[in-house]
Amino acid sequence: MEVSVIRSCSQATNPKTELGFSDSRFSFGKFNEKLFSRKPNSVSFESPLRRGKSGLRITAQAAQSDRLPKSKSSTKSKTLNRIRLFAGLPLDVVSGGTVNQFRAISAGLKALKLLGLEGVELPIWWGVVEHESMGKYNWSGYLTIAEMVRKAGLKLNVTLCFHASSQPKIPLPEWVLDIGKTKSNIFFKDRAGKPYRGCLSLAVDELAVLNGKTPMEVYQDFCESFKSAFSAFIGSTITGITMGLGPDGELRYPSHRGFAKSGTVPGAGEFQCYDKNMLHLLKQHAEACGKPKWGLGGPHNAPAYSELPTANTFFKDHGGSWESPYGDFFLSWYSSQLIAHGDRLLSLASSVFSDSAVNIFGKVPLMHSWHGTRSHPSELTAGFYNTATRKGYEEVAEMFARNSCKIILPGMDQSDKYQLKESLSSPESLLAEIGTACNKHGVGISGQNSTVGAPDGLKQIKKNMLSENLNDSFIFQRIGAQFFAPEHFPLFIEFVRKLNQPELYSGNLPTKEGTTTTTDSVHTRSNLSIHVQSA
Amino acid sequence: MAAVTIDSLLQNPTLLFRPKAKVLLKPPRSLDCSRNRKLPLSRGSCLCSFNPRRTIHVVRASSSETALIGNFDISSSDDILYKDIFPVKRIEKGKFFIRLDRSKDQHDWQFTVGCSLPGKWILHWGVSYLGDSGSEWDQPPKGMRPPGSIPIKDYAIETPLKKLSEGDIFHEVKIDFNPISEIAAIHFVLKDEETGAWYQHRGMDFKVPLVDYLEDDGNIVGAKRGFGVWSGALQQFSNVLLKSEASHADSQNNSIESKDSKNKNRCLEGFYEEQSIVKEVSVGNLVSVAVRKSPETGKVVVCLETDIPGDVVVHWGVCRDDAKIWKIPAAPYPPETTVFKNKALRTLLQPKATGNRSGALFTLDEEHFGFLFVLKLDDNTWLKFKENDFYVPLLGTSSVPGQYGQSDSTSEEISSKSYTDGIINEIRNLVSGLSSEKSLKTKKKEVQESILQEIEQLAAEAYSIFRSSITTVPDEVVSETETTKPAVKISSGTGTGFEILCQGFNWESHKSRRWYMELKEKASEISSLGFTVIWLPPPTESVSPEGYMPKDLYNLNSRYGTIDELKELVKSLHEVGMKVLGDVVLNHRCAHFKNQNGVWNIFGGRLNWDDRAVVADDPHFQGRGNKSSGDNFHAAPNIDHSQEFVRKDLKEWLGWLREEIGYDGWRLDFVRGFWGGYVKDYLEASGPYFAVGEYWDSLSYTYGEMDHNQDSHRQRIVDWINATNGTAGAFDVTTKGILHSALERCEYWRLSDQKGKPPGVVGWWPSRAVTFIENHDTGSTQGHWRFPGGKEMQGYAYILTHPGTPAVFYDHIFSHHRSEIASLISVRNRNGIHCRSLVKIVKAERDVYAAIIDEKVAMKIGPGYYEPPSGSQRWSLALEGRDYKVWETS
Repeated sequence: MEVSVIRSCSQATNPKTELGFSDSRFSFGKFNEKLFSRKPNSVSFESPLRRGKSGLRITAQAAQSDRLPKSKSSTKSKTLNRIRLFAGLPLDVVSGGTVNQFRAISAGLKALKLLGLEGVELPIWWGVVEHESMGKYNWSGYLTIAEMVRKAGLKLNVTLCFHASSQPKIPLPEWVLDIGKTKSNIFFKDRAGKPYRGCLSLAVDELAVLNGKTPMEVYQDFCESFKSAFSAFIGSTITGITMGLGPDGELRYPSHRGFAKSGTVPGAGEFQCYDKNMLHLLKQHAEACGKPKWGLGGPHNAPAYSELPTANTFFKDHGGSWESPYGDFFLSWYSSQLIAHGDRLLSLASSVFSDSAVNIFGKVPLMHSWHGTRSHPSELTAGFYNTATRKGYEEVAEMFARNSCKIILPGMDQSDKYQLKESLSSPESLLAEIGTACNKHGVGISGQNSTVGAPDGLKQIKKNMLSENLNDSFIFQRIGAQFFAPEHFPLFIEFVRKLNQPELYSGNLPTKEGTTTTTDSVHTRSNLSIHVQSA
Repeated sequence: MAAVTIDSLLQNPTLLFRPKAKVLLKPPRSLDCSRNRKLPLSRGSCLCSFNPRRTIHVVRASSSETALIGNFDISSSDDILYKDIFPVKRIEKGKFFIRLDRSKDQHDWQFTVGCSLPGKWILHWGVSYLGDSGSEWDQPPKGMRPPGSIPIKDYAIETPLKKLSEGDIFHEVKIDFNPISEIAAIHFVLKDEETGAWYQHRGMDFKVPLVDYLEDDGNIVGAKRGFGVWSGALQQFSNVLLKSEASHADSQNNSIESKDSKNKNRCLEGFYEEQSIVKEVSVGNLVSVAVRKSPETGKVVVCLETDIPGDVVVHWGVCRDDAKIWKIPAAPYPPETTVFKNKALRTLLQPKATGNRSGALFTLDEEHFGFLFVLKLDDNTWLKFKENDFYVPLLGTSSVPGQYGQSDSTSEEISSKSYTDGIINEIRNLVSGLSSEKSLKTKKKEVQESILQEIEQLAAEAYSIFRSSITTVPDEVVSETETTKPAVKISSGTGTGFEILCQGFNWESHKSRRWYMELKEKASEISSLGFTVIWLPPPTESVSPEGYMPKDLYNLNSRYGTIDELKELVKSLHEVGMKVLGDVVLNHRCAHFKNQNGVWNIFGGRLNWDDRAVVADDPHFQGRGNKSSGDNFHAAPNIDHSQEFVRKDLKEWLGWLREEIGYDGWRLDFVRGFWGGYVKDYLEASGPYFAVGEYWDSLSYTYGEMDHNQDSHRQRIVDWINATNGTAGAFDVTTKGILHSALERCEYWRLSDQKGKPPGVVGWWPSRAVTFIENHDTGSTQGHWRFPGGKEMQGYAYILTHPGTPAVFYDHIFSHHRSEIASLISVRNRNGIHCRSLVKIVKAERDVYAAIIDEKVAMKIGPGYYEPPSGSQRWSLALEGRDYKVWETS
């Protein structure tokens, strides 16, 4: 080895040009030859010296690989593989009975299949299927989608949407809105009496307000019709049905309305107990409790939608009305109404689909702003009586368990560090709280991301997938231009591939055989194709 | 100062030279002789390789996109649901031999290789000398080269095989040599120029030892292996020993200083061996299949036709699902049909009245999923589809009629579907069909890459449709949002997809010692030309002035300026809206100190690593790390990235560069030197906005002429990108190389690959391809691989209109090309061309190449004529220069 140093010295003195370089390299090789040929034994053949001028290396491979660590499987990746991954189809994938952007959907489905996804989520809108008149259903566009999904070899999770969408605009059925024009009390109302036309009030669930039928009956007919129209798919292609439970399909009151302005702190939200029927129920309940005065309306000292919780005294951290006997009375009633509504719809779904091999899901919102306060105002106005002193999600989880339904939790992409500090928000701890309640009652959890997106969202999703907060499936929302855009889709591919790849350190390092196998080993590290096979 | 310089010179003998040139010396990859590589018998069949054990007579077919269907009368009716035509290839079987014997004068020896199959056979060969270690080749001495030999780089010779006379069966080549020479062995592989196929010996080169103590790497042919013990398991062979004369060569004049007794007994034994060889020959016949629905009966009719002469029997069945399990459908069957072993039906194709064709019609109920068949020509000849059954999808065509309202092109839909289905089935086959671990591995890799490419294309298609039909509805009362979020941050390492890169320096930039300040003056000018990303020179202290021999990574005072000037530059680049890439050299690092043996491998500065950070397999530097995970760069200690502490330090350093300097991403130097998986790790840790790696090796050449098919070259680059998990892009060296040949030699047909796509990395993985025509190594004052002079603008007309992320070289921006480049960039930006835009190649002929991108921009390069079609789109000329034109829709 002394030789190479000497060699370096002499070489350093002259080579200036490319020519000089290659010449000296060549002579360097010769130089070694002479050196070795002077030593009359076979040692030279075992020398690891390479001239390195070409990739033609056949030198003993066993010797090269023996020092490299052998592959180990990672426990982390095993956990991830259990989670089935879905992607949501565009909200307006079907309108008026036809499939929109057929070719894009078709290409998209193939891409997702190749990527190894389990399936897609398909929102089916009440306002599309039963658009014209009660009991007249048009499933055709959705049937086309189901057939496309089946052919693509994917599974389907259907969401029955008994609510409206603002973007894209998909209202409730026309005939329902017509009824609402004269009977606005079929909708939730806020303190100002302004109706919310995104879904029906839970107070009318069992009142015959829809042409002589109760909403529950109408929902049931819808489910039955769906079941018979899709009988060929249910249990095979369709493996999950999500029951719409309220605004945006979520089990909650429409306590926040409109979009908050970007960069502003969200308000506490408003209680929604001011439609005639809700007020009636409240009154009955107050009287039954012997506190008739408490049944005249909602809390008078609660702030308005966009006001901060501190704007009034109801949610005050210490000594707020929420902690008073009145507060407990109202909040217990308000939240139990919501849970009873969820119970009605989920037991309806469970019984309709009891003989089908499908999972029933319901979605619970992640009202994470103000979670850092003691009173959790956003959760309270949305209907979850969950505070620093009361574990409100226990009842919710228990209700899901009772109906053998799984829960969908959105906002899995939200991490604490990107929340506005002033909003005292904590999506992560709220998620953990709900997760704990679900685990306690054995309720399966399927995750979703928030549709608006979040910084480092995919990283956070992966983190959640590794945690107890998620154990059934994940539904990525949602396919569309943004999803396939060059600035997003590669990230998603990377995300999916990572789910199937062990971490670098526990995974196998390259085993070296010439120059080619370094890439081979990368491929064996990935389970992507295996994942597709099992699908 | 002077002392430092001398030190540096000592440890880095080649410091004045950039490492890049040597990579060009690499032989074509198909020669890589690692044992696990499959025999590269054919190209194109990337999903299924030929397996010689199965049958002797196999006829292969591959699907063709060519529109030959006009030859067949089944294509006329409108209700065709599916059609495809497969050209038929026949496997020809022959043999080749190797012979070693004495020439007539009994003094010299002669080595002969012959082959009985017709073809343009080339012997690709080299020798190894006594004392050589390993199995690298050297060029044989001039006297040994037969007439007509052509040197390939500096390690091999190519010599064509010739028929000695017309009547000969064999093509032969004879090599005379003197046994007294220092040659230890002859190595060779056989290549067929017609098909581009390489014939190797168990995945390695053939090795004929001329001395008796050569190490046996398992590929030795003849000689001391004894009589007939050559266990060529892969192929049939016979081994006939002709004679075993021992030659006691006179060693007195041996130039080797021979105290080695073994060298005195250079016994050569003559031998003769034959080996069977197979070759795929296109026989010019076709098989066509069409499916239509009978309007009367509602049944599906499969029409099969071929022009293969003689009796053709089709074995056929149907399947119910993707698993493609053969089932026998219900009657009726065509005439001459029998049931074969309860598994399939066999039907003799009936001659047609016109022409020399035969065919049959199969009427099936519509619920079948697919139609499966193979053809049998005679007792031993089966015709299959890439080693599989032919498969014709049936269901995709009929099940939900009428509802695919917006499907404007049925046949397109089906063809892309069947391709995707093909991949999916291929994946399935991986589980069921294969027993060998090795081929499973290879296949999985290939399949996975096809999948990724396919996914990208599908996504691009979906994106273009979704994007064009976004309808914005103003928001109303209904919904609510929980919170508001800051804008989503992009950190995929690939930017927005709309990036245009500027290489902000050349090989001379260090000379002024104030490059950062000079560039700062130009920041707004560069930005105004439309560039979004700029690549700055390597910033660290370096033994070579250009910066590629880094020493103390945390010392950012370089010949380009001080660390403060660099920060100032980055700040002003950010102010004009550009992202900044740092050129990071992670492969090697120059040491500060010598070890006890006097070897420079101990580092100083903040990262004071010892020799454990140096790879073990470069004896110059006596590293104590693991062996290198890539190619070695021999002028400086190569860093061992498998060491945890090295990786940790490098990640920290990259993070520091991001924080301290404000770099947004990286240009990664010499990434061939270490495994792409480590790059993935570094990129995930440093979260760059954009990253691009330099993976530069040689393209494939034959007889000094570049091969049309550079798939193996781009494959290596794609492999690397894949190893990084797609976190980084790579410079599209393939495209540059092909542009060289196309422009220089007026061979514009090279710009379309066999599938009608761009032939570079950009055709396979556009979002990760960084296209360029020149950089500081290839051009500038080094000129290692300069773009054809005077044709630079054609190159830019190509890369700036095509997908991929184009990179423009500093020297070209600040030259007379500037305004033309600026115009091209504005056309690109105006039309929203991005890294995954769709290219439709409309002409790839001798003297002209033309393409339409995203249906918005049309371009042509080359002296030939092209005008975009005057159809529904109205094209207007946007830009015109020497041998190029660009149009956009008006």
